[in-house]
Amino acid sequence: MIATLPRLHAVTDDRVVGAGGVVERASAMAAAAGGALAVHVRTRLLDGRSLLDLALRLREVAAPHGSWLVVNDRADVARAAHAQAVISGRGGLAVRDVRRVAPDLAVGRSVHDAAEARAAETEGADFLVAGPVFATASHPGAAPAGPALLEAAGSGGRQVIAIGGMTPSNAGSIVAAGAWGVAAIRALWDAADPAGAARAFLAVLPAAATIALLVNGESRAVAAGTTLSGLLDELGLDPRAVVVEHNRRIVRRDALTATRLTEGDAVELVHFVGGG
Amino acid sequence: MATTVMAPTFQDTPFEIGGRTFRSRLLVGTGKYRDNATMVRALVASGAQIVTVAVRRVSLDRTKEEGILYHLDPSRFFLLANTAGCYTAEDAVRYARLAREAGFNEFVKLEVIGDQKTLLPDVAGLLEAARTLAREGFKVLAYTNDDLVTALRLEEAGCAAVMPLASPIGSGLGLLNPFTIRTIKARLTVPVMVDAGVGTASDACLTMEQGVDGILMNTALAEARDPVAMAHAMRLATEAGRAAYLAGRMARREVAIPSSPTTGMLS
Repeated sequence: MIATLPRLHAVTDDRVVGAGGVVERASAMAAAAGGALAVHVRTRLLDGRSLLDLALRLREVAAPHGSWLVVNDRADVARAAHAQAVISGRGGLAVRDVRRVAPDLAVGRSVHDAAEARAAETEGADFLVAGPVFATASHPGAAPAGPALLEAAGSGGRQVIAIGGMTPSNAGSIVAAGAWGVAAIRALWDAADPAGAARAFLAVLPAAATIALLVNGESRAVAAGTTLSGLLDELGLDPRAVVVEHNRRIVRRDALTATRLTEGDAVELVHFVGGG
Repeated sequence: MATTVMAPTFQDTPFEIGGRTFRSRLLVGTGKYRDNATMVRALVASGAQIVTVAVRRVSLDRTKEEGILYHLDPSRFFLLANTAGCYTAEDAVRYARLAREAGFNEFVKLEVIGDQKTLLPDVAGLLEAARTLAREGFKVLAYTNDDLVTALRLEEAGCAAVMPLASPIGSGLGLLNPFTIRTIKARLTVPVMVDAGVGTASDACLTMEQGVDGILMNTALAEARDPVAMAHAMRLATEAGRAAYLAGRMARREVAIPSSPTTGMLS
């Protein structure tokens, strides 16, 4: 169980990546959804180098808000981009092999029926992406599995992200049926206002868990999954103008985006003032 | 016919601390000014290159104060972070490390205070922190008592400079013991700068006449009626005291010696 696993997953596909403007839309959604959002890089259009470049640009806009970056299939790219998770799809690497490449990342398995879900459990996946739950334009030929898939996928105790025809109007019932969260392509990326669409999803999803911190001696609640960089952003502080101490250890500027806060952490933010 | 003589320029030796050379022997603090604009004008008038700053928590209420770097150009001044307000070696080391992380330089003005009323240093804590920081590559400028043995121990600990006080911080009592300051300067190899206690220009001049390498002050400027004019006066006094020291004063005697010829008087 990954307590900080985001509830809303903005999944790309070849069409979304090909249309361009992905980073801008991801940035708007990350600002709106923070730690409740995971941005997925999923495309076969790009070679390794271009894919990593896209992943790095997405991480740059996601991390300050505490949003996750998830890379599909390419564990090497996920690790190089400091993503939080890798999803291994049908025909992709086994979970243990993904872990050999990217040992610190969460590993999700894409599953389409109860048998695949059981196999993913056995392999030791951290969470499952199950679908298509409803009919979806992304897989026009695929027969929707219906909410029953969620029950089957979740029976082993893994967190399940539902995919396929997810909208703000059905996401609430999907979570009620046992899913941890939902993944959407069109409902987010094709929206005239992706940030507004993300907010509409969040309104029906369980509220992101918050954690309590001690920041400069004052208690402060932030969304679970917030990074130091996200905290500075929330406080309106320029990382170049402050020095950050996290649980008595100084955190260098280039490590701020990679440092995730946990319950009870003490953060000191200092700068220079007049003195003799 | 009179010979024309150009006014000679005053030639000082380079002022070097921790491998860096500075022009101005006057170091000034940035605290307690009534406003930032006055502070910056006073700094400029003082001619100081090294200015001290303190490390403090940022205000999370962003409508309140801003950091000093919004007012001070770090490319114009050499920022010397202090550990003011620290009462233990552990705290001072923590503040020094945070200051270094700001990324300007590895210099730190080390203060470990032992008494709230007099702000006199805790010598044991000071030595402990100085050793730790010197080991970590800091250039430590240690604020200390005007005590020779402590000064020697600080030098042994690896300090880049030792900074004995003229009198307590913010007191404006001036140089209380020229003898101890002269003794420290005579015995140390690293630069000796007097820190704290200067009240007015004559204090700065008298201090520099003892032969010390530099002088650091804050309150004398910040609490002057006109800090900018006082900064100007301190600049002149520091230079005058230094020049007088280098010139070498005449011997003291307890009898008068006429300055004009005793011969050639009218009968």
